Amino acid sequence: MQDVIDKVELAIAVNGEPVRLEVAPHVTLLEVLREQLELTGTKYGCGEGECGACSVILDGRVVNSCLVLALECEGSEVLTVEGLAANGRLHPIQQAFVDHGAIQCGFCTPGMIMATHALLQGNPTPTEEQIKRGLEGNLCRCTGYRKIIDAVLSLARGGGCRG
Amino acid sequence: MVDLKRVAGLTGVSRVKGEVHVGACTPLSGIASDRIIRATAPVLAEAADRVACPQIRNRATIGGNLCNASPAADTAVPLILLDAVLDLASSGPGGMTVREVPITDFFRGPGSTVLAPGEILTHIRFKPPPKGTFAAWDKFGTRRAMEIAVASVGVALKVESGMVVHARVGYGSVAPVPLRGRKVEAELLGSPLSAEVIRRCEAAAREEIAPITDVRASAAYRREIVGVMLRRMLQRARRD
Repeated sequence: MQDVIDKVELAIAVNGEPVRLEVAPHVTLLEVLREQLELTGTKYGCGEGECGACSVILDGRVVNSCLVLALECEGSEVLTVEGLAANGRLHPIQQAFVDHGAIQCGFCTPGMIMATHALLQGNPTPTEEQIKRGLEGNLCRCTGYRKIIDAVLSLARGGGCRG
Repeated sequence: MVDLKRVAGLTGVSRVKGEVHVGACTPLSGIASDRIIRATAPVLAEAADRVACPQIRNRATIGGNLCNASPAADTAVPLILLDAVLDLASSGPGGMTVREVPITDFFRGPGSTVLAPGEILTHIRFKPPPKGTFAAWDKFGTRRAMEIAVASVGVALKVESGMVVHARVGYGSVAPVPLRGRKVEAELLGSPLSAEVIRRCEAAAREEIAPITDVRASAAYRREIVGVMLRRMLQRARRD
């Protein structure tokens, strides 16, 4: 019987803050965010990459944090929905979702916002079709897609999205 | 479990001696946006861009898409069209050895490949098709997002003086492995892209695939849709 590796040291940056942790090798980034760092804005939906509720930005790219082992993130930068608002003001994406009522139960919203963030970073003026493709990995079970698309379209038209 | 993603040399696309070398750990989003892939094998870029969703494409690698050995692996059919070769590396007493396996010999069945224990896929290699080669790939599903293909079809061909001089055909999700369409290729080679030839190809495609009925579609439906997809691609090739 070989030794079981209990905990491994991990250094990452979360929402701009350097963090040092000890994590078990099988623990996902999502579990570290929610349970060790108590950043519960990122949601656990399906746990298998189908729903997008756990979407975060890892080194500039949107990923499902339920499918990333925490130890794969050594030296990486993670941005969660908690890292968007600054100086007591909502991020323009969050404000657009509020203004358009692009929310019903709210469970998919953090993931939708992070996927929107990644979409607009790559393409600040997406068409409706490009928005649908950019959000294709994020499910809303309240069937509120129309208002979500309207919110993102308003950002594309207004060009007011930064960060 | 061993994570290979940070092993140097396994990520990225490069041109080496007239070939395109694709590192097995290149993410699908990287395949879809890579300039060399888009210039030499746009159908591979398109297939990579149609896998799942942005979150998955940023993490999933082309090597993983192949080694997972799903009959529905979206990147497999474009690689069949390109006559791609896979480099499989292993270490032994004499150091590292690499064997080359053509993509058509790599898959053994659903979830099964010729990879031996301890062996890893390091690179996927192909020669850029000659200028003037027509290539098309498409997958069919009941929705557009997060869809595992009900069936996929790819065609690459070159026409000279009205005759097909080179043909490659591939199918996904209609056999235990991603399948090369040798019967359709035989119908095409040396023939014009006439309505009669296209009809014969459609029939040959339905004959040479071996689909099953599962949650996504019936075998009969898959036979039907594969014929339709192939016919439309060949009609497009005739117009081009």
